[in-house]
Amino acid sequence: MAESVRAALFARLRERSPAPAEPAEIARALAAIGYATAARMPHADLHTAFIANVLANKGTLELALDRGAAVRAIGRYLYKRFRTHKLVAGNDPRLAAMPWRDGGVLPRFGAAEPGDAAALSYARLGVAETGAIVTFTGRANPGRNNLLPEDHLVLVNREDVVATLEDAWAKIRLETGAGAWPRGIQFIAGPSSTADVEAQLVLGAHGPRRWHVILVGDTPAQDLEQARGELPEA
Amino acid sequence: MKVASQDFLQQAHEALRAKDKVERRDLLGQFMPAARDAAANAYGDFDGLRAHMKRVRGHTTEHLAHYLQQFEEAAVAHGNQVHFAATAEQLNSTVLSICQTHNARRVAKGKSMVTEETGLNELLLKAGLEVLETDLGEYIIQQAGEAPSHIVGPAFHKSLAEVRELFLAKHKLGERALESVSDIVEEARGVLRERFLAADVGIIGANALIAEHGTTMLVTNEGNGDLCANLPPVLIICTTFERLLPRAEDAMALQRLLVRSATGQSHTCYTSFYSGPRREDDVDGPLETHIILLDNKRSDILASDYHEILDCIRCGACLNHCPIYIGVGGHAYGWVYPGPMGSVLTPLLTSLEQSHDLPNACTSCGRCAEVCPVNIPLPDLLRDLRQEESAQQLKPARWRRGLRLHAWLLRQPVLYQRLTGWSMSALGLLGKRRGAFRRMPFASGWTSQRDFPAPEAGGTFMRQYAARKRRGGRRG
Repeated sequence: MAESVRAALFARLRERSPAPAEPAEIARALAAIGYATAARMPHADLHTAFIANVLANKGTLELALDRGAAVRAIGRYLYKRFRTHKLVAGNDPRLAAMPWRDGGVLPRFGAAEPGDAAALSYARLGVAETGAIVTFTGRANPGRNNLLPEDHLVLVNREDVVATLEDAWAKIRLETGAGAWPRGIQFIAGPSSTADVEAQLVLGAHGPRRWHVILVGDTPAQDLEQARGELPEA
Repeated sequence: MKVASQDFLQQAHEALRAKDKVERRDLLGQFMPAARDAAANAYGDFDGLRAHMKRVRGHTTEHLAHYLQQFEEAAVAHGNQVHFAATAEQLNSTVLSICQTHNARRVAKGKSMVTEETGLNELLLKAGLEVLETDLGEYIIQQAGEAPSHIVGPAFHKSLAEVRELFLAKHKLGERALESVSDIVEEARGVLRERFLAADVGIIGANALIAEHGTTMLVTNEGNGDLCANLPPVLIICTTFERLLPRAEDAMALQRLLVRSATGQSHTCYTSFYSGPRREDDVDGPLETHIILLDNKRSDILASDYHEILDCIRCGACLNHCPIYIGVGGHAYGWVYPGPMGSVLTPLLTSLEQSHDLPNACTSCGRCAEVCPVNIPLPDLLRDLRQEESAQQLKPARWRRGLRLHAWLLRQPVLYQRLTGWSMSALGLLGKRRGAFRRMPFASGWTSQRDFPAPEAGGTFMRQYAARKRRGGRRG
C-alpha cells in the first residue's frame, strides 16, 4: 500500500507540470529568484548589532578579551547564580583547551543530565541580524545541553559573528561539507519562553530560564554600552 | 478531529453571549496586530520579503515533484524512514504501528496542527498509549479536554483563574497558591520535565521541509518540540508536502515572516534543523526517525483554483486581524483551523456541505489579505467558495432567489438607480424626525442590534456623482 500511495502522489504532482523541467533548468530559475533582504540592523557595527539583539532576546551578555577572561567570567557567573563552580560542557576541543583552573571552574565534559544547573556551549556562529547563536549536535555539543539545564551559557568568538541568516548558512555549508551533516543544527535566540497563558511572557518554559552569551575577543566596552542604548552611536 | 462546522451559527451565537471571553478576544484583537505591525515596521522592507516568499513558493509549487523527490532522497540518505499517507487514517495507523513496533507506552508530542487534523491522539489513547501534549497551550487544552481556539496560542481563550482551577484539579501536588502566570508555567515545567525524560516516542511537526538537505525546520519558543526531538529514542515527524522549500535560506525567509506575523518577535528562541537519527559522533538524540508526509486532499487543492491556500505558513495573523474571528473565537468554527485561513481550509479538507457557513463568516474587509505574510488572496478564495456554495445549492432556496433578484437588478442601472433613489427619499422623509429607524422591514437582523440611520438629503451616491460631473467638478 505504502508504495502505491507514494506513486499516486508523485503522479498527481507531475500532472501539474506536464513537461517536467530539467534539474539544471529548475536550479537556474531558483537562482534567478535569489535570496531575501535581511532585517534592518539595530546598529551599523556588526558586533554592536549582535549584542543589541542578544539583549533584545532577553539574553544577558558579557565581553571577554580572551579565553582566560572567559573562564573567569564563567566562574563569576556560576558562583553568583548557584554558589557553585560546577558546569557541564560538550567534548569540544576548544572547551577542553581552556584554562579552567584560572576561574576555579570544574567542568564535566559530556551530555547534560537532569539536575545539571548550568551547561556551556561553544557556538559555531553568532548572527547579528537576530541575535541568535548556532550550535551543531554531536560530541562537541550534545543536543540536550542546550535544553535541559537551568542556565545555558554560550561562548561565541568575535570572528564567528556574521551579519545575516543567509551568511550563517553560507558558513554552515562550508563547515558541514559532504557527508558530515550534523543530526541537528540549532539556532538559539534567548532563554526558553512561553506566552501561552494570558499572552504574558514567562522565561523558562521547558528549557533554560537564562541564556548568557559571552562574546570572546577584543570588543570595545563602549559597544556594549551602545547596544544597551546607554551611549549614542558613534 | 470531528467536524462541528455545520453548527457555526449556533456556536457563534453562544460565543457572543460569554461576555468575559468576548472581552479577552477584543484585547487579543488589539494586542496581536500591534505586535505584528511593530515587528513588520522594524524589519525594513517587509513587503519585499513577502513578495520574495511568494515567488519562492510559486517556484516550489511549480516543481513540487522535483523538490519532493530531492527531499525524500536526501532524508533517506540521512537515515530517516519516509512514509506517505494519503488520508488521516493512514497517518494515524502509521504512527500507531511505529509505536507498537517499539512497544512504546509513553508518547511526548510537540505542537502539530497536522495531528490535530488527523485526530491522532484519540487513536493512540484508544490503543492504550499515554499521549502527552507538551506545548503549554496544547497541554492546557488537552487537560481540559478542549480543542485549540487559536493555531498559535491554543489556550488563549482560557483565563489564569481557569488554568489555575484546572491544574489544582489535575495535578495532585497538595496545597499551593498557583497565583501568577509564572507559577503556572513553573508547575507545568516540573510536571512535564519528568514526562519528557520518560517518553519512548517523540512526535513533532515541521514548519518547513528543506529539499536540498532533507532536513526539517522546527520553530518554537518553549523548547518543548526540541526536547521531543532530542530525548526519546524514537522520533516521528508528522508533516505535509506543501511545507517543502528548496533551500535553507528559503526556510530562513519563511522564519522571518512567521515569527513577526505570529508573535511580533524577530527570532523564536529555538529554530532547529533536524536531519535524522543519531550519528556516530552523537551522544544523544533518537536512534530511529520517521517522517510521515500526509496528503489528505492537499493534492486535490493543488490542482484546484484554491492552490494558494497551500502557501499558508500557519502564523495566525489572519485570525488576529479578522473581525469575525475576534468576535466569535476559534471554537465556533468547529474544527482545527479557524479564522480566514480556516474558513478556506475547512471546506477543502472536510466538505463544503458540512462547513459552508464558514466562507460566509467574512465581512470582505480585506484585513487578512493585507497582513498575510505570503499574500494569499483570502477574501477572493472565500468569495469563490461562496460562489461554489451557491452553485451547489447549499443555501436555502429563498436566499438564492433573493440573490438572483439582486444580481438581476444590479444589471439594470436605470431601474436600480431609480429604485434606490425612491427608497432613499422615502426613508429620508420617514426618518426625518428621529434621524434613525429602530425597526425596518427586511432588515430585522440589522436593527436587532442597532438603529438604522436615516439617509440625509442630497440623493444617492450616483446622483451626487452625476451632479458633480455636470458642474464640471473634475478636481483631482
